[in-house]
Amino acid sequence: MSSLSLADQLDRSIEVLMAKRKPNGNLPRTDRSMSELLGIATELRLFPRSEFKTRLKASLLEQALAMSSAPTRVNVRVPARTLEIPKRGREQAAQSDVLPTLFGVGYGNYPVRRSNFVMSLLAHAAVVALAVGLSVWAAGHPKEVTHRIVTDISPYTPPPGIYQSSGGGGGGARDVLSASKGKLPLAAREQITPPTVVVRNLEPKLSIAPTVVAPPSLTMPQPQLGDPLAAVLVPPSSGTGAGNGIGSGTGTGVGGGHGPGVGPGWGGGMGGGPYRIGGGVSAPRAIYAPDPEYSEEARKAKYQGTVALWVVVGPDGLTKDLRVMRSLGLGLDQKAMEAVRNWRFEPAMKDGRPVAVQLNIEVSFRLY
Amino acid sequence: MKALENEITDERLLIEAAQRDPTCFAELYENNFDRVYAFIAHRVGNRDEAEDLTAEVFHQALASIGRFEWRGLPFVAWLLGIAGNVLSDRWQRVAKQQEAPAEVEEIAGAEDKIEQRAILFQLVEGLPQDQRHVVIRRFVEQRSLREIAQEMKRSEGAIKQLQLRALENLRSRIRSNHE
Repeated sequence: MSSLSLADQLDRSIEVLMAKRKPNGNLPRTDRSMSELLGIATELRLFPRSEFKTRLKASLLEQALAMSSAPTRVNVRVPARTLEIPKRGREQAAQSDVLPTLFGVGYGNYPVRRSNFVMSLLAHAAVVALAVGLSVWAAGHPKEVTHRIVTDISPYTPPPGIYQSSGGGGGGARDVLSASKGKLPLAAREQITPPTVVVRNLEPKLSIAPTVVAPPSLTMPQPQLGDPLAAVLVPPSSGTGAGNGIGSGTGTGVGGGHGPGVGPGWGGGMGGGPYRIGGGVSAPRAIYAPDPEYSEEARKAKYQGTVALWVVVGPDGLTKDLRVMRSLGLGLDQKAMEAVRNWRFEPAMKDGRPVAVQLNIEVSFRLY
Repeated sequence: MKALENEITDERLLIEAAQRDPTCFAELYENNFDRVYAFIAHRVGNRDEAEDLTAEVFHQALASIGRFEWRGLPFVAWLLGIAGNVLSDRWQRVAKQQEAPAEVEEIAGAEDKIEQRAILFQLVEGLPQDQRHVVIRRFVEQRSLREIAQEMKRSEGAIKQLQLRALENLRSRIRSNHE
């Protein structure tokens, strides 16, 4: 039997079945397979209309909403799917007191846990306590919570340097006597007229007060111009040095040094020794710095390291007064000094003029 | 076994939820409609009457849900008890007009058949769309093949094939359900 004929035969049997008033009536005589299909068809005759189920559900919901106006409170855990009620039901339910609270009406209507409420309560209490606590603390400590931003517009006064002042100068008029003791001339950044104790030109065409190159704030109360470090008080003398200054040195300063400064150093300033880099004194720049040679002894020993030298770079850019600050030995110190002695610098500048400065130079010896 | 226990626990929670909030009865209704309807349809053998009585059963159940006491039996047993009462009332009403039908003794032995019918109703929902459409039109609305063919814009032969395949499909699903 083909499937088409089976379909026809089934349809004819169904037509007979449908014509019967009572679904549970006797089925047409057919084979076993057909009987099963007809049995199913018979059952399907009682299949409910699809809209009936929906309509009955809506009717039940209306009845339920009418009943829920006075709900009975039972505290149980409810599965979440129970909440899947139609939209209309949800809207009406929201109007009644069914929102969950910890102790009030409606608790238990939804799947909630009392511990969740407790945790929420504790969390809120902690936040409130923190806010109140911080407010009380802030009220009691107004100074600690006041932030002031003040812009300091007072004149800038640099702090005192950590190094002792350096520099110096000297002079003299090739007198027989040493320079007489007296007060220092005015300190100035630049010197136009060198100081002198014995004035030889009594009527100068342009009179300018004698000065020495030193910090302008320098004041040393002395009765007359002279060398404050001199032991001789009288008679007045500009000293045995040369250069029209005062003292036993050379230059236009005061003291036994060289240059326009005060004291035993050179290059200006006071306190002895050359300038230090900084505070208006620029650093010298090496323009010729050949590498040092390795000593044979150190090469054999494969010795490496760094030699630190203390050097004065003069206004002429040449190095002077080399001293070893950190030694390596094995002849490397000497090699380093030999190399640095040949170095050439652009001199350090102060107020546009080259000055002598002291600096440390590290010479590294490496074997590659 | 574990799944059965979970199902019973869930049903108990649903009942307690419905006792507290009757709108929660909707899920109990969805879960038990087919079996209650199948039970009543088997008794009365008429769709219209089965629908009326089914509606009456569920309305009574909802009204009485607050008095329900959990005793370990499935909720459907309680619903079928109400359905039995509704059917008795219906038969008493009919008996006043004519002789009572001799169907009461069928009830005890018809449980399997009712369950099969309930399963069949659920299986129809799972049919392919066109087959389900033909089944609804043909058996529920009792349309002719020609009407269905016109509506679906297919030939009558095609509708016959769809009808055959739908019934065969249901038969195979029932068999696999039994296995």
